[in-house]
Amino acid sequence: MFSEQGGPVELKTQVQDRNMCTACGACAGLCPYIYTVREKVAVIYPCGRTAGSCYRVCPRTPTALGELDRRVFGAPRTDHVLGEHSAIYFSRAQDKEINARAQYGGTVTALLAFLLQQGRIDAALLARGNGAAPPEPFVAATREDLLAGAGSKYSACPTLAVLPQAVREGYRRLAVVGRPCQVTALRKMQGLAREGQLPHLPAAGPDIFVIGLFCFWALTPAFYTFLAQKAGSAEIRKVDIPAEGLKLTLAGGQELLFPVDEVRPLIRPACPDCFDPTAELADVSVGSTEYDPAWNTLLVRTPAGKALVEEARAAGVIALKPYPEERLPLLRRAALNKKRRVLSAQKGDGYLHLPDDYRQKLQGGIA
Amino acid sequence: MSITGVKTDRPGQAVLLTGNEAVARGALEAGVGFASSYPGSPTAEVLSILGRLAAEFNLYAEWSINEIVALEGAAAASFAGVRALCVMKPDGLNVAIDFLTTLAMSGTKSGLVIFVGDDPNAHSSIKEEDSRYLAKLAHVPVLEPATVAEAKEMVKVAFELSETLRYPVIVRGVTRICHASGNVVLGALPPREKAPCIPPEERFLTNPGAVPAYHQKQEEKLRRAAELELPFNRYEGPAGAEILVIGCGPAFLYAREAVASLGLTDRVGLLKLGLTWPLPEKLVLNRLRSAKKVIFAEETDPILEESVTSLAARHWSAVGEISFFGKNSAHVAGPFGPGAGELNVDIMVKALTAVAGLPVPEPAVSPPQDPPFAPGVPVIDRELAFCAGCPHRASFWAVRAALELDGRNGFVTGDIGCYTLGLGRTGYYLLRTAHCMGASVGVAAGLSKLARLGFGQPVVAVIGDSTFFHAAVPALIDARYNQARFLCVVLDNGTTAMTGHQPHPGMGINAMGEKAPAVAIEEVVAGLGIPCTIQDPYDIRTTVRVVFDLLQQNQLHVLVLRRECALTAARQTKKPRVYVDQERCLGDACGCVRFCSRVFSCPANIWDAAAGKARIDEAVCTGCGVCAANCPQQAIVVEGRE
Repeated sequence: MFSEQGGPVELKTQVQDRNMCTACGACAGLCPYIYTVREKVAVIYPCGRTAGSCYRVCPRTPTALGELDRRVFGAPRTDHVLGEHSAIYFSRAQDKEINARAQYGGTVTALLAFLLQQGRIDAALLARGNGAAPPEPFVAATREDLLAGAGSKYSACPTLAVLPQAVREGYRRLAVVGRPCQVTALRKMQGLAREGQLPHLPAAGPDIFVIGLFCFWALTPAFYTFLAQKAGSAEIRKVDIPAEGLKLTLAGGQELLFPVDEVRPLIRPACPDCFDPTAELADVSVGSTEYDPAWNTLLVRTPAGKALVEEARAAGVIALKPYPEERLPLLRRAALNKKRRVLSAQKGDGYLHLPDDYRQKLQGGIA
Repeated sequence: MSITGVKTDRPGQAVLLTGNEAVARGALEAGVGFASSYPGSPTAEVLSILGRLAAEFNLYAEWSINEIVALEGAAAASFAGVRALCVMKPDGLNVAIDFLTTLAMSGTKSGLVIFVGDDPNAHSSIKEEDSRYLAKLAHVPVLEPATVAEAKEMVKVAFELSETLRYPVIVRGVTRICHASGNVVLGALPPREKAPCIPPEERFLTNPGAVPAYHQKQEEKLRRAAELELPFNRYEGPAGAEILVIGCGPAFLYAREAVASLGLTDRVGLLKLGLTWPLPEKLVLNRLRSAKKVIFAEETDPILEESVTSLAARHWSAVGEISFFGKNSAHVAGPFGPGAGELNVDIMVKALTAVAGLPVPEPAVSPPQDPPFAPGVPVIDRELAFCAGCPHRASFWAVRAALELDGRNGFVTGDIGCYTLGLGRTGYYLLRTAHCMGASVGVAAGLSKLARLGFGQPVVAVIGDSTFFHAAVPALIDARYNQARFLCVVLDNGTTAMTGHQPHPGMGINAMGEKAPAVAIEEVVAGLGIPCTIQDPYDIRTTVRVVFDLLQQNQLHVLVLRRECALTAARQTKKPRVYVDQERCLGDACGCVRFCSRVFSCPANIWDAAAGKARIDEAVCTGCGVCAANCPQQAIVVEGRE
């Protein structure tokens, strides 16, 4: 099904036409022949190349996970369910303004604000939306921008599409907040950049701090039509999908709850093929707790991630508490089940190239 | 273009005029008081000139909304005692034909001349229609000038003939009359004094109860026309020539030159016809009596050929055995075969050689290939393309992008204007139909109505602003009424760019240079009850999103992509400087495969082979900066944009 290398034709036939595009935005940001609008990505004109960066950075073209682990962590992973990590916490922002704007604990916005305030990044790549239309990727260079990007988006904003633009505009130290597919694509881009094969990103490499988001699926842009139908003329202030279902908070405080099965048909077709619900290649990964909406789950993965989290805690930017022992099996079970579903569906001809021991560990009773 | 020559009041002086100028001058010498047209190549300059001279010559000139309205206006002037000239191309005569066929029945009063400019080879047309068929259809006489000087004289005579017969008369030029230049001896410019007036007893009717009687009157007028002694019908050559060329227009001149170059002047007779319809039968019969072989020289279709062969058949016992050589015999044929494309001297040489039984000459009279532009410098054949900075390029790219993103195999219908070029590489092969003025909207409407039968592709019509006014409005009304669902994209560059920037109803100026009420496209659309969005195509990224969003709506919608024609803009404003920062441009290492110069292909985006980098040809660049937004490396710098 997949070729050794590919260009736009292969990207189109092997990924886009098969609805496997995750709308990460990586290819569109690099290439003048690929556009993204409203979370759709399309090759709009043949460039004539038979091999191109578009194919190589795509998270749904052949992806060697062992190699990516070595690149990010320097070694094969030791945790095959949640990916490499040094710690797992409940975390939350200590800033009241961030708490008010955040989806849950506000950890992502708090870490970004800390990085920006410390002068350690020039900007962050985020998604910004009003709930009425698919969010748009943007380059957030101020605290106000960061707050504008706060809050979960349940569709697939192609944030990476603005990465090359941000680099060209002179933002050399960046933070990227992304879904697992976007983190994978970003790591592929960094790998190519280090080998000098992605001349558009000379600085892409150690200067990108990567915050991954937990993501079990994203919804298609039809979600916004769905929301408009549900909310009628009322303005939607917040969208949340906790365990009990889809929850809309309207202007005026009224809350509407719908069974999650109503949005399941709107799941992007690419998402069931995703092997990575916790953004395993990020510096830190952040998600909900499925337990306490005032907190986030925080997975600390790389040394850079560890350093930042510790400094942020020391500076009073975030509060941490131990991940509840009794919750961990639930998280691990959910992640493992997804991985096993993907593995059993994939039959070896999929995009995912796993080292044999990774596969064996997952198929065995390691959870 | 010498407007001075057109208005010079020195009878007897020879001035160099183009064919279009000569026609304008002929009309002025005939005392024209009303002139109307819709711009179309090759005749667009005639009304431009008369518009500029309107005040000085106390005449009225207008760019009409379309050709039928133009002809209706000209007819009105004729009814009121004002000599009127109506100018169009064959495509326009098609539009006007419904009125013309009835006007010929009602008849006219003051001279009414229709100048039609055919475009053999379609140098700047969608087809090479021979308008003489329509003249026959409408029962209207046709005069055809062979030279620029004759064009002026013929227009004057046409006014006289029209008045004599109380009948419209067509003067048919071709591109190589309209755009050629020649010496014209000026005649007198008469004063025009009488105020227009229609006496109480005068009516100009057709009458459904008496059509055959009207028709009978038309046939009678045509018979009278055929019998007129006209200076434009003449014979040159030996008496009793066995080989006879019958020709008209520039094609006659090609034949005459061919005869001379082959040394056949003593053997071949040349019958030039100025009145080609109705056929001056007596004159032609007279020459057929001695002829054994007849060759036809006319463009584009075999109209004379068919008239003459029919005449000969009717008089076979008098004319005896004659062989006819022309398009029907395939003797008079260019590289595209008989009846297709223009004629030239070589084609006539070939025909005459065969007919006269001469050895095939070599080399041909014209050199077999054009001499090189500069010795030793190869000149690359350039394809047709939008101008540098043309907003259409941005519009086409954006629509293409939106359709690819949409992913439902969208279908784009095209129309008539500069943007017809969008069917080719310069428009990224976007257009899938190209027919006549306004057809984009009607075809799009028709396709979208097939949704009821299961047609699932989104449909986009692409039409220009002038064409919108000319022909889109009834189709849009139909679309609304019959619930068509498509996106009508109006490429509004604020002018009739294709034919030379003539004013149109949206521009707030008229043919005489006066201020006029501007008709806003969005107001027309709103009046039809159709939602309308206006967007600047230079902002490509936003335009892509706007088009994409409109495609998702699956509703009838008009999107006006509004941006001044780059040629107008280049004349008026101080342009920003756009250049490639070659430090930034990665050249072939970029991976964009020379996107700007190879694909986006604005003529100002060029490849600097020495540097291996992109470059801007600043002599050509209009400073629009659209290419800068597309460069994946942001290596294109725009300086000094307001």
